[in-house]
Amino acid sequence: MSLDIDPHIRHSTRHIGRSVPRREDRGPLTGRGRYAADIRIAGMLEVAFVRSVEAHARIASVDTAEAEALDGVVAVFCAADLADVKSFPDYIDYINPVRQRPLAETVRYVGAAYAAVVAADRYIAEDAAALVAAGTVYEPLPTVADLDQALAPDAPKLFDDWDDNRSVDFPVDKPEVARAFAEADHTFTETYVSQRQTGLPMECRGVVADTTDGQLTVWTSTQSPHLVRTTLALVLGVPEPQVRVVNPDIGGGFGTKTHVYPEDVVVPWIARRLQRPARWIEDRAENLVTGVHARDQRHDVEVAYDDDGTVRAVRCTSICDLGSAEIFMPGTAPVFVTNACITAAYDFPNMEARPVGVVTNKTPAGAYRGFGIPEGVFVMERIIDRVARLTGTDRVELRRRMLLRPGQTPYVMHGGGRLDSGSHTESFERALEMLGPALERARSRHADDSDVRVGVGYANYVEPATPTYHLTTGHWAGYDSATVRVDPDGSARLAVGVTDLGQGTETSAAQLAADALGVDPSQVTVVMGDTERAPYGLGAWGSRSAMVMAGSVLMASDRLVSKARSIAAHMLEAAEADVVIADGRFHVAGSPEPAVGWAEVATAAWARTVDLPSGMEPGLETSGYFEPAHLEHLPDETGRVNAAASWANGAHIAVASVRVSTGEVTVEDFIVVHDCGTVINPAIVEGQIHGGIAQGIAGAMYEHFQYDPDTATPRFSSFMDYLVPTCAEVPPIDVDHFKSPAPDHPLGVKGCGEGGTIGPPAAIAGAVCDALSEWGVDLTACPVTPVTVRAAIREAESAREQAGESA
Amino acid sequence: MKPAPFEYCLPSSVAEALEALASSESARVLAGGQSLIPAMNFRLTDVSLLVDIRRVEGLDAVSVDSGGVTVGAAATQSAVLADDDAAGAVPGLRAALRHVGHLQIRNRGTVCGSIAHADPAAELPAVAVATDAVVSVAGPAGRREIDASAFFLGPFWTALDDAEMVTEVRFPATPASSVTVVDEISRRAGDFAVAGLVAVIDADGGAVRSARLVGFGVGGSPTRLESAEAAAAGWAADHPTDGIADAVMADTADAFDDIHATSWYRREAAAALVVRSVRRVLAGQEGRAA
Repeated sequence: MSLDIDPHIRHSTRHIGRSVPRREDRGPLTGRGRYAADIRIAGMLEVAFVRSVEAHARIASVDTAEAEALDGVVAVFCAADLADVKSFPDYIDYINPVRQRPLAETVRYVGAAYAAVVAADRYIAEDAAALVAAGTVYEPLPTVADLDQALAPDAPKLFDDWDDNRSVDFPVDKPEVARAFAEADHTFTETYVSQRQTGLPMECRGVVADTTDGQLTVWTSTQSPHLVRTTLALVLGVPEPQVRVVNPDIGGGFGTKTHVYPEDVVVPWIARRLQRPARWIEDRAENLVTGVHARDQRHDVEVAYDDDGTVRAVRCTSICDLGSAEIFMPGTAPVFVTNACITAAYDFPNMEARPVGVVTNKTPAGAYRGFGIPEGVFVMERIIDRVARLTGTDRVELRRRMLLRPGQTPYVMHGGGRLDSGSHTESFERALEMLGPALERARSRHADDSDVRVGVGYANYVEPATPTYHLTTGHWAGYDSATVRVDPDGSARLAVGVTDLGQGTETSAAQLAADALGVDPSQVTVVMGDTERAPYGLGAWGSRSAMVMAGSVLMASDRLVSKARSIAAHMLEAAEADVVIADGRFHVAGSPEPAVGWAEVATAAWARTVDLPSGMEPGLETSGYFEPAHLEHLPDETGRVNAAASWANGAHIAVASVRVSTGEVTVEDFIVVHDCGTVINPAIVEGQIHGGIAQGIAGAMYEHFQYDPDTATPRFSSFMDYLVPTCAEVPPIDVDHFKSPAPDHPLGVKGCGEGGTIGPPAAIAGAVCDALSEWGVDLTACPVTPVTVRAAIREAESAREQAGESA
Repeated sequence: MKPAPFEYCLPSSVAEALEALASSESARVLAGGQSLIPAMNFRLTDVSLLVDIRRVEGLDAVSVDSGGVTVGAAATQSAVLADDDAAGAVPGLRAALRHVGHLQIRNRGTVCGSIAHADPAAELPAVAVATDAVVSVAGPAGRREIDASAFFLGPFWTALDDAEMVTEVRFPATPASSVTVVDEISRRAGDFAVAGLVAVIDADGGAVRSARLVGFGVGGSPTRLESAEAAAAGWAADHPTDGIADAVMADTADAFDDIHATSWYRREAAAALVVRSVRRVLAGQEGRAA
């Protein structure tokens, strides 16, 4: 199937591996993008949701009369009006069930929608929503604002039919870990914390629904249009062929748009009920409290280690704050990924990891680029730095001892993850080479300032690419799809089941098809993001698009070329086995003329079918459904599972300076050595890395979604306080690559979407601790802020004073 | 995030603006709108009438003479930032404006609007206090002038009465012998300060002769650091810093906790800012030319 091994394909120009300019940028960059908010349909109504201001309450009554009387208001709907809508499905049997209603009767987080106002425009809709809010009687329930409150013995329960607030709890007991603890020279315990963030797409969500012609068409800013279609058909009770889901241009998703949200159901329901087009465009204040949150985890860790720095074993209970868990698909999977990937690129089997998911009265947790991995990598790297410090071992040497070496792959991790290939040691060594000049620059920059210290921090990671969706959804799994067609004029149409949210998927798709068919990418029209036009696919998430799209495009193209060769052989009056395709022209091997091109072949296939071989089926369109090798969808009896088809890897090194008097941290340089196998488009990969690092820096130093511990109310509602790094906060990023092909993928492609987010919290926290080593600062949480840095210095100084006094 | 219904008018004179302000109980002046409009969109503030003063004749003027800089109520931050004469006469203006928001915000935001808004973490109110600026106000009872030191009463609270508006702020020229430093710690470039300092320092022969020190973000309104000023007088680079730091701690007892920083951090940071500003001035690392 691979282009390089099929003897019948001999193109002289290859587009795979070249930075073919992105074709999808022109619209958005010239103000001609077509996002959900740009869709206009005559007679379209506007929806505004009325959202809870209480963190936990039963909605006792809602007086809608005043709102309904407002000029321009068409309707107000509450939970009971949507009784005909089925609850979101509940496919996973190992987590406690959440039967989420599209509009809430009991609200379990601030921001939960309990009513919807439909009006002529958004201004009127919001005026009416304010009246509905004023007419709402809440019956407050006790709130649960954090993990400790949720796990307290007498904690109020979010869901009456659960035993407690635990959604999931998987204790693990490994005798070899117990042995290691018994034998080790030392142990320590620590708690590491990863703070609540949200994936924060530049474009908020939007849903537009129309029932013209009897079909329900829904434009929604989703990463997975087919999954929305299947879910909508189910909950609305509409035959699936009558539902069309389109994702228009999307301004980023970062995982948050993989979920099917209540608004995805309510807006189409309204359009059907009123037989009028309707839309809801999310604003930023809504997005901050309704777009899924992530990363909110606490890790209670025990570490066994020896005098020589050997880390013998680690026990880790990872407790994830799932918020109210009222989201489809559920947000339980990331904490499992945290545990599975916590040992990252290290050869470290003695890991006992227990994932726990707990519900609280906060925004539901869900997917965010990185999907649990940054949290685990932070824990592991902080443990290594601690052991190095406690034993007087060099931090770099300790990592060298622990890293996977060349030849160790395929390597099965403690949780069953099967690292298929990689450059774990090589990437770290290359990053260390790149560190030299970067560190020199930073040191000389601050040489004259006695208030500034410079430090270095390390993170080595693996990035699961193309995970199964089964562990997350209990329903879908791993494949994706492509359909390729050559039209009579010889140009190709490629439809793929993955979608584009800004990554450049369309460009990459055209490169793949161009090489497979021997044509220029400009001759390939790419279609995606529309359930009527693209084949069923699972969408864009989990660093999967490159891998599954490449596989399915090659499958479909291979089938197409095979049929085209039969037709060409007939037209050339040659034996099929002798016909090759070279640069888009079919001829007998060794004699370039006579030849026929795609246009002649396609014309025969579609139009002049009289030219086809006798008995051949007309048409020149084929499909491929690519299921990656080695992907396991359910754990074995010991809980082990290889949930990803391939594993990228990388090494991050941060160089940071710290101003001791104020705790200000500046990331001076960020070094990345990255390995995602065969690269389809280097510029796109580089862009993924840069953007990922920016989001990783957000997690390391800025973004922190905070709630009031007494009321579980968000402490803010805007970008004034939820601090997103801007270009001014992103340092120079030095990138180098290894390319260890995925051994079981036809092109050797892995995924690269998430790696950038993984290392920065660990690397930056490590760099700050290194800079402050004279104080023995050992940070255990992000974000690293001026306040946390100063607090750590003060704590160290007061401990030193006390020690001095007692001595 | 859509505002509740409101009326809007675009007066062409101060008299018309005042008439409009008096006509409605919750009328508000719209200058740059960089704080007011978001507050309206969040429905956090009840505005019945917006009185847009951007077309009021002459109100966007920035005039500089030997006595100082006069900034009209509609003059944008970008206009003042770009004005070399203003930067020469009152270096603190340019130095502070470099920390204010981003380009797009400064293109709309006004100097006087920031002063009237009185965010406790904003730079420009502190510049006004540090330079002994005078706020000119017009209202139903006529015009009056308020010293900056008496203008800021607390967070988002000033000596402006209902139906009054700021017409201009006059910043007296900074003496040629002084060096102005505006320094701040903010979570990101362009954010409101976690802690900030406007320092106008007169130094000679390696020692501080006198210093005017005004903190921002370290209290409910611009905070004159009077004991630190006293401690700084006569200070030389090789002197210990403890005295100044302790004095700043005493001056900032009103520092507050919020989501970005604790009060102790703000006080500590203010002390660090004072020490590093004075040191930089004494080391000749801060020049008068902005």
